[in-house]
Amino acid sequence: MSKRKFSVRHVPGAAPIAIVTFVALYAPVLILIANAFNAGPVIGRWEGFSGRWFVAAIGNDAFRNAALNSLIVAALAALISTSLATMAALAITRGRRLRGEGGIFVVLNQPLLVPEIVLAIALMIVLAQIKQATGYHGLGYLIVAHSTFCIPFAFMPIRARLEGMDLTLETAAMDLYAGRFYTFRRVTLPLLAPGILAGFMLAFVVSLDNVVVSSFVKSPGQETLPTYLMGELRRNLSSEIYAISALLLFASVTVVAASWLITRRKP
Amino acid sequence: MLEIKSLSKTFGAGVAAYHALRSVDVTVAEGEFFTLLGPSGCGKTTLLRLIAGFEQPTGGQLVLDGQDIAAIPPSRRPVNTVFQSYALFPHMTVAQNVAFGLEARGTAPGDVARRVDEMLQLVQMDHLRDRKSAALSGGQQQRVALARALAPRPRILLLDEPLSALDLKLRKEMQAELKRLQREMGLTFIFVTHDQDEALTMSDRIAVMEGGRLQQVATPRDLYDHPANRFVAGFIGETNFLPGRAAEGQLRLDGFAPVALAEAKAVNGAVTVMIRPEHIIVGREAPDCVQTSGQIDELVFFGTDTHVKLTLPGGASLTARAQNSLHSATDLNPGQTVPLSLPYDALRILPDEAAHAV
Repeated sequence: MSKRKFSVRHVPGAAPIAIVTFVALYAPVLILIANAFNAGPVIGRWEGFSGRWFVAAIGNDAFRNAALNSLIVAALAALISTSLATMAALAITRGRRLRGEGGIFVVLNQPLLVPEIVLAIALMIVLAQIKQATGYHGLGYLIVAHSTFCIPFAFMPIRARLEGMDLTLETAAMDLYAGRFYTFRRVTLPLLAPGILAGFMLAFVVSLDNVVVSSFVKSPGQETLPTYLMGELRRNLSSEIYAISALLLFASVTVVAASWLITRRKP
Repeated sequence: MLEIKSLSKTFGAGVAAYHALRSVDVTVAEGEFFTLLGPSGCGKTTLLRLIAGFEQPTGGQLVLDGQDIAAIPPSRRPVNTVFQSYALFPHMTVAQNVAFGLEARGTAPGDVARRVDEMLQLVQMDHLRDRKSAALSGGQQQRVALARALAPRPRILLLDEPLSALDLKLRKEMQAELKRLQREMGLTFIFVTHDQDEALTMSDRIAVMEGGRLQQVATPRDLYDHPANRFVAGFIGETNFLPGRAAEGQLRLDGFAPVALAEAKAVNGAVTVMIRPEHIIVGREAPDCVQTSGQIDELVFFGTDTHVKLTLPGGASLTARAQNSLHSATDLNPGQTVPLSLPYDALRILPDEAAHAV
């Protein structure tokens, strides 16, 4: 008899624990989705299947406005953070070793280490000064704030992709008369593209569902989808909120799934 | 013509300095198949990377057709490389890979297309032109890498152990094909390998390297018959080394009577004498030979010949090679003592070890 390698799967009770965990994680979400399709207005009393709350949500100006803000902020914050993350990843994995590389790494990942509420307060204080000084109260503040904490999320898949890339390919391009920029455009960038896209999508999702930083930084009257939901919840718990949550969930899952599919392809 | 003049490369500095190349001087002629041969870490790949421009020399000159190219970046050197790992662009098709160098140079699209067709036909890869390079076998990738490097018409083609990833049969085929291509195009090839058989069969001249230095540059025949030192003698082919002394034109192998030898005139004192296994005559006494006898320890059958491992009366061991023609070598048995003849003209005197210790 050969000794079987230790595996958590063979620990007694592992399967029931796993099942309980999955139920605890996903049952509330499933209940939420079910309620979004409930024809009646009262939570917990099923009155038949209906898409009326989705229709109502889409017809709601405040929701549409918040959703649009969220999409604009998420798209631009993802774009900015992905660009910065790409440059940082290239600087770290290419060329000679930078001095204080460890420090750079810590700074880049700072938003993962600093408690979000602290970051939110810090951003609020600084941005409030600028608001006062400039008189500008637009979406720019949210975009800048979101860009900061999206950087590490965009950085991780890009760096992983770059580190898995064969450096000889760039050497080969230079050997074949390609200058630095031509090499980057024809070889490095196309090979890096899946990493950049995955980074962009992760950043997009992280921005899309952010509540804490948005609540502190947004100007009066401005709403993103999550802050709008928070506000509505305080007033009344309607099935429309479930419909909106279901939409947000659907958007997030779609983006994450797409990002997973893209990064799964090997270089 | 490529002239390499006192070329050096040192990585790091101070106590951590690593001298990858120590003042190498050699000239590669037009249209020559020139091979850099040596064990790993001997500096052959560093020399190739310096010629390609991937590394900057710390000293010396690289003169191509009268122009010093040491300061020119790889993207502007008329030299292309076939990489050990092939380094094909995985996101491009076979044809796109071959076109890359031409496009990067700004060649007109019509000319690119024509040259790509020509190159793909040359390496017989035309039928796979639209295949992604990642979906090719090792041998096919090798052909595409070759076509890609040849397409921009380099002055010199550099090949960095290009056949080492192929299995034996494919390697033999590619050796013949590379040699054919090189001869037909009349192009200068600088070929890096650690495989002595590959070097001997393909090269016009071979530079044997060790410890960042050129040990000897010669034709395969010269290298085999007249190795400059013990390292070269041991690295190329199989060899027996016997200790001896030379004085006044006479060579005395330890334990034997002195022999008058023209080669011995140039040296005095302790020497190492080399004799190739196939030059030793086993089983009979022959004229103009050092006569001795040996006890057979082991017989190893190799098909065309049999390796005979022997112990000489003085205790030294020797390997001989007896050809398996129809009527020979079959009557040898382990334990048997047989006469041995070492022909005078097969003895090579090498300078004593200490003189060229690395």
